[in-house]
Parts: sequence; structure tokens; C-alpha cells
Amino acid sequence: MVEITQLLKDWRLHVIVLGIVLITEAIGIIELTIGPGMIVLLPMLFAIVFGLILYFTPIIKEKQSKNAEPIITIAVTLLIAKIGVTIGPDLGNVIAAGPALLLQEIGNFGTIFLALPVAVLLLGMKRESIGMTHSIGRESNLGIIYDKFGFESAEGRGVTAIYVFGTVFGAMFYGLISGFLATFTPLHPLSLAMAAGVGSGSMMAAASGSLIAAYPELETQIIAFAGASNLLTYATGLFVSIFIALPITEKLYKLFWKWRGGENQ
Amino acid sequence: MKNIQEYFLLMLIVGTVALIGNWIGYDIFSIQAVLGMLVLILIASLGQLLSQLIPMKIPSVVYVIIIGIILSLPNLPWGPYVVEWTSNIQLLAIATPILAYAGIAIGRSWTDFVKMGWKAMVVCLLVLFGTLIGSAIIAEVVLRFQGII
Repeated sequence: MVEITQLLKDWRLHVIVLGIVLITEAIGIIELTIGPGMIVLLPMLFAIVFGLILYFTPIIKEKQSKNAEPIITIAVTLLIAKIGVTIGPDLGNVIAAGPALLLQEIGNFGTIFLALPVAVLLLGMKRESIGMTHSIGRESNLGIIYDKFGFESAEGRGVTAIYVFGTVFGAMFYGLISGFLATFTPLHPLSLAMAAGVGSGSMMAAASGSLIAAYPELETQIIAFAGASNLLTYATGLFVSIFIALPITEKLYKLFWKWRGGENQ
Repeated sequence: MKNIQEYFLLMLIVGTVALIGNWIGYDIFSIQAVLGMLVLILIASLGQLLSQLIPMKIPSVVYVIIIGIILSLPNLPWGPYVVEWTSNIQLLAIATPILAYAGIAIGRSWTDFVKMGWKAMVVCLLVLFGTLIGSAIIAEVVLRFQGII
């Protein structure tokens, strides 16, 4: 763990971030209409892209990039604090939506039922597909898989892949897709708000952010539902992954390989 | 109690940047917005402190969200102030600096990312999509059944 003092003193990094914020907030929210749907480009999505581009210029040194990582985890608590004070006055609504909030957690298995068959049946992937599809592969899932199968195992490589993919592309993807799904499909923005609580602060912020931009009148409820769902995923995620998601993934993996008539691995 | 002041100072930096973004992007700049940001920073720091003091393996974000909820309950004496001040701070304005740090950090994962084969990319995309759509469909059905939407 890096010393926090060192993070504090990295003025170069904080000034660069301030610069990115000034430019991206000045650009503002851009809404692209595509047929009946809409894609929302948020300042936060520009901020990821600008940050990434700057990484490849001499402006950002390795030190800044290393320091930025622990800052994300710490700064996300500010976002969570904002979610907390949004839920407070809306607590009645959140509790009323309790059944939906609890049941939609099951929907997180959507990754297994959608991605695993494609991985195995269509693309012929081996055991790396188990690590890759049992969850959206955040830090706690890395721990589970490395612990059970080992870092160098096929499953370990799989979970590393989804971790890297989600880290680089997750917030961007959710930011682009959730506003589009809300405007293009019959899915209600509040259903998507609940779904936005995937268990990662930045992915949730991007997903709910584009919903807020598309439906500003529902802002409070979107934040409250997304935040409550994200909290549930944080609280149950580890347990569900170990005792439910991973066993299901392994069983289905064996089944799919049997269907393929494959030599079973 | 280790380095809680430093946590506080770090959030003060990020909070200040977010406050400026809140001003540029959403035209909100007032004493109330400043107080709102201070309240959020205090809630976040308090959550951090509690997670260090209480010897249980609960992530600090759980404490943070619970403190936030309690402080903003409208029927408690301080609730209306907390709600009014913090409502001046946009969620989107807090997210922008965080994702700017994220963009700078993910540069180091970029080489691993581009080295992934197309098959892995397709499957990973479906993983992200699957969890969102799976949860959204269930939420839609239950919320409609309950008559909430």
C-alpha cells in the first residue's frame, strides 16, 4: 500500500486532474440521437479518455499513474457519501422497492448465462472461460479465483482478462449502453438504475450518470436505486460468487463441453 | 486512527476539484455548495474512521453510505440542512475527477488490454452486458408487478 502522504504531495497529478475536469466539464454533456435511442456522452467519459491519452504523453510520468490508482478507491467514498445523503430523504421509496432490489441481484448471473455459452459453445474456450464469466471480475473475484485455482491457472488468466477489460473499458461501456437501453428499449430507467449497481463505484457512476442525463426528472430515484443496489452487490457479492456463481459456472462449463462432444476440458 | 487526517486532506483535494467542476459544468457555486461538499467529505472521512476503529471486515463504503443515510433523514433535526446543502453538489461532478484519476491509472493496464485476443474481448463484453441486462429485466418485471413503474 502506498503511503497516503505521497499521494497527497503529488501536486503534478492533482493539477492535471483539475485541468481535465475544467476542460471536460466545460464541454459538458453531449447527447447523440440514434434512431429512437440516445447515447449520452458525459464529462466523466471524456475524463477517462483524456486521462488515458495523457498517460502516453510525457505530461504523465509512471509515478502519477501509480499514485492515481489508490486515489480512485479513496475518492469513490465521496461518491458513496453523496449516494447516502440521496437515499436518506428517499428511504421510503427504496424500502418499497426492496423486493425488486433483492431479486435483481440474481440478474448478475446474466453474465454466466449470456457469456459462458458463447465462450464455450461458439468460441471453444477452455477453462479460462470459468474465471472470465463467473462474475464481472472485480478485486474480490480476482481473490476468489486466484485463491482456488492459482494465479497461473487457466481460470486465473480468465479472471485477469475480465478484470483488465472491466478496468479499462467498464465505465465507458456502461456509460454508453445504459442511456441507450433506457431510451431505445422498453426497459424503464429505474430498472436500469437498479441494474447499474454492478459492484463497482466507477461503473455505477457512469451507468447511472447517463440515465440521469437522459431522465433528469428521475435523478434522485436513479441515484438512490443504483446506490442501494450497488451496496447490496458489495455486501453479498463475495458470498454469492463463492457459493453460487462459481459452482454454477463450473457445472455449466462441464455440461457445455459434453454437448460439444468434446474431450471434456 | 492511522492516517485519517491524510484521508481527510486527500478528500479535501478531490472535493475541491469536484466543487470547481460543479461550478463549471452545472453553474452551481454558493456557500451552500461549499458546505455540501464539506459535509460529504466529513461523511466519507467518518466512514473511513469507523472502518478502522471497528474490528470487522466490512468495507468502509458500507459505513459511509449508512452515515450518509442517517445524516440525511429528513425528520431528524440536522436532516433538512444536510439534504439542502448536499443537493447543490451533482453526482456527475464528483464522478468526473474520480474517472480522470482512473483514466490516468488505466494507462498502465492498456498494454495488457490490447494484447487480449478478440475472442476474450467478445466474451468480456458479454459479461459486462449480461450482468446489466439480467438485473434490468428482473428489476423491470418486479417493479411493474409492484406497480412502482
